[in-house]
Amino acid sequence: MHIQNRFVVKVSGASGQGINSVGETISKAIKETGLYSFGYREYPSLIKGGFASFQVDFSSAPLASSSDKCDMLLVLSVSAFSVYYSSVAKDGTIIHSVIGLQQSEEQQKYFSENNIKVVFVPAQQLVKEAGGHPLMVNTFLLGVLWQLLGLSFDHLIEVLKRTFAKKPEVIELNIKMLEAGKIFQNENLQPVTLGFEFHPEIVDEMIISGNQAIALGAVAAGVRAYYAYPMTPSSSILSYLAAISHETGMFVKQIEDEISVASLTVGSSFAGTRAMCGTSGGGFDLMTETVSLAAMTETPFVCVLAQRPGPATGLPTWTNAADLLLAAFAGHGEYPRVVLAASDPQSGYVLTQVAHNLADVYQIPVILLTEKQIAESHFQIKDLPPAIEIKRGLVAEDQLESLQKMDRYRSTENGVSLRWLPGQCAPTFDANSDEHLGDGSLTEDSVPAKEIFEKRMRKLEDLKKVLPDPVLHGEETADIVFVGWGSPKLAVTDAIDLYVQQGGSLKLSYLHYEYMYPVKPEKLQQLAEKAKKVVFVENNGTGQFAKLIRMESGYTPDDLLLKNDGRPFFVTEIVAYIQQSEGKEA
Amino acid sequence: MSCNSCSTKTVGLAEYASPNALTWCPGCGNFGIQVALKQALVAQGVTPHQAMLCFDVGCNGNGSDKIDGYRFHGLHGRILPVAAGIACANKKLTVVAEAGDGATFGEGVNHFVHAVRGNFDITFLCHNNENYGLTKGQASATTREDVAMNSNPDGVTSTPIHPQRLALSLGATFSARIFSGDIAGMNRVFQAAIAHKGFAFVEILQNCPTYNKHTPHEWYQQRVYNINETDHDTSNRAAAVAAAEDINEKVATGILYQDPNSVPFMMRDAVRKDLGAELIDEVKTYDITPYTSRMR
Repeated sequence: MHIQNRFVVKVSGASGQGINSVGETISKAIKETGLYSFGYREYPSLIKGGFASFQVDFSSAPLASSSDKCDMLLVLSVSAFSVYYSSVAKDGTIIHSVIGLQQSEEQQKYFSENNIKVVFVPAQQLVKEAGGHPLMVNTFLLGVLWQLLGLSFDHLIEVLKRTFAKKPEVIELNIKMLEAGKIFQNENLQPVTLGFEFHPEIVDEMIISGNQAIALGAVAAGVRAYYAYPMTPSSSILSYLAAISHETGMFVKQIEDEISVASLTVGSSFAGTRAMCGTSGGGFDLMTETVSLAAMTETPFVCVLAQRPGPATGLPTWTNAADLLLAAFAGHGEYPRVVLAASDPQSGYVLTQVAHNLADVYQIPVILLTEKQIAESHFQIKDLPPAIEIKRGLVAEDQLESLQKMDRYRSTENGVSLRWLPGQCAPTFDANSDEHLGDGSLTEDSVPAKEIFEKRMRKLEDLKKVLPDPVLHGEETADIVFVGWGSPKLAVTDAIDLYVQQGGSLKLSYLHYEYMYPVKPEKLQQLAEKAKKVVFVENNGTGQFAKLIRMESGYTPDDLLLKNDGRPFFVTEIVAYIQQSEGKEA
Repeated sequence: MSCNSCSTKTVGLAEYASPNALTWCPGCGNFGIQVALKQALVAQGVTPHQAMLCFDVGCNGNGSDKIDGYRFHGLHGRILPVAAGIACANKKLTVVAEAGDGATFGEGVNHFVHAVRGNFDITFLCHNNENYGLTKGQASATTREDVAMNSNPDGVTSTPIHPQRLALSLGATFSARIFSGDIAGMNRVFQAAIAHKGFAFVEILQNCPTYNKHTPHEWYQQRVYNINETDHDTSNRAAAVAAAEDINEKVATGILYQDPNSVPFMMRDAVRKDLGAELIDEVKTYDITPYTSRMR
């Protein structure tokens, strides 16, 4: 399915062939020309070889999702050809630089049935003739592509200059390769007529990944210590925060394992700074004991849980969202916690700050979910929202004198007790992982054990009152209400926009959840009463959020649209679902 | 944010007293260790507001609410990274972590390895009574070979960990061993450990009257000697390893090794070492435009 007002380019090759940098260059240069883009990365869990791709969907209208097929595929390796040939849409073109490429019968059949042109560009030889380095084949092909798209080379060259600002010696040569690609001719390569309207006013927009936005949310929130153990897709939060640490002054440390990561986070937070950690599902499994400790000692704890498919090592570099129930039920014992879910850079940036305010004010663990699809995709956005005011919930310095010994864990109406910090001239206390009294002194008596358990759990009731409802995109009364969390928002809202533009007859809306736990089912139930059909869209295999909603409210949706193959929802899949529903209606 | 007024205040032992009754077995080494810790803190001029006492789970951890000071009583085996996190966030605190041999060399051995490597500015009192006391006398990683324990009725078959050999091989900047019956010795060693810049490992040979029948109080008393009263050079790591080796006949106690040039973790950090402020004092809204402008 080709989507109107969208063109899709995919660059593919082996890991180590610079696929990601070409993709980034394309994203940035597309923006510079005054168009909108969304960049989607696929890569294997290895460093050299295998197959990797970077797909850029671009349009004259804003977009935040990928199509399942591309219009133009650049191929730099045999393995990428065999993996991605079928991702080319009808009437599309494949440009490859693979010498002696043999096409299988199946491939030839696909190409002829779909009217796909496969064009060999002797890029290695031409790059050599032009005096370039073998790795510059990708820049050469970029020149070929850009000429076909009829886009401005000035913008592309500007982006290349910025990319190689620290290696000025290679700039001239790369420009030379672009120009060599520009003049390449082949009878099968015809210029593309995009027919897009350009918006010069958007050239100042940002290209940002979800992980960069979360990292900047931490910076803005005053996080002063970030601890992590490398694990895809969370690792780029660590590497980005480390890269800017000389400017931010943030203490950014790679720690020996996730148990220590969580423990250091609890320690630094307990001492009184804002600390954060990040991991993926397997690492979070190791942290769960410490999440329970944070809840018991009422120490603020914020962890970014960047999801990828499991179980076990799973599909390490691919996407899904199957750790919601892990987050909601993590750790032994019963205790209050908040689970948030980002869906794009803006929400990642905001929710990171919200997470710290909630963790501080309620003295609880807060888990911020994200997904590989959000973490590592390249979003084009106007700006990040304004920073959120910091709320720490600490006893003011001039109030320390009035503190009583039992205040630290005293039972209160909303379950939140006064918190002050070690080092302060005030009554000391014991942050005790054993059940305890107001000052942290150990108790095994039934009455105080019940009282403090209930005190902690009352935080959850208060949170249910203060946490915002899910946000509705579209009309209150709809034929289909889609309900989702995380990255499906991107594909669903893009699909609804497209459907409306194309004059579809169904009334559609999308209810988006960012505050996952404690669950807020009320708004959903109100909408469900008026909707013909409610569909949960989840990037997991069993509909975890639907389960959670049902558990807390008894509500069961009419349908589940699930995807659990390591890939995100593509906008085309949602459009197809809507069209299918339309057919049933008619 | 830290308490400044305390630094000029004089501190006495009474300030570390707790109204809660101690629950250790009669004759437990923990009584003496707690007394010596209080003495050392007082002697070093550390008030309970400045003291950050971190406890692992075990018999000693049960004492977390039986001494004053700010305290954190964590999970089994995990206290070292918690203490490290506290020490990094507020260098003004005097951070003392305590854990048993079960936690330190069993479930938490990786934390011990990396805490030594990191040289976090912590005093670590490792209560080595060669068994898991609080769970009723199972073997630990320091229980001697062939000794029969709860759940190991035929005797331990694995080679025991030698805590000093391990710590010194990892590059510990301070490694000491002392006996729980030697309160004056503990006071002296604890004070040196608290004053040490970096990770100060103190192994306490602790008697366990209930479960360790193999090396009781008297056994140690007959074997320990103060190595700091000999010509032992505490700045010589190889000499320390050699001196620490014997744990059967003549058992060296005191400061075995101390690196006089030790640089603690935060002072090795390229970003933080020259910044005077503490992480706890820096929480505020930071402008992100320097970073977003590069994404445009």
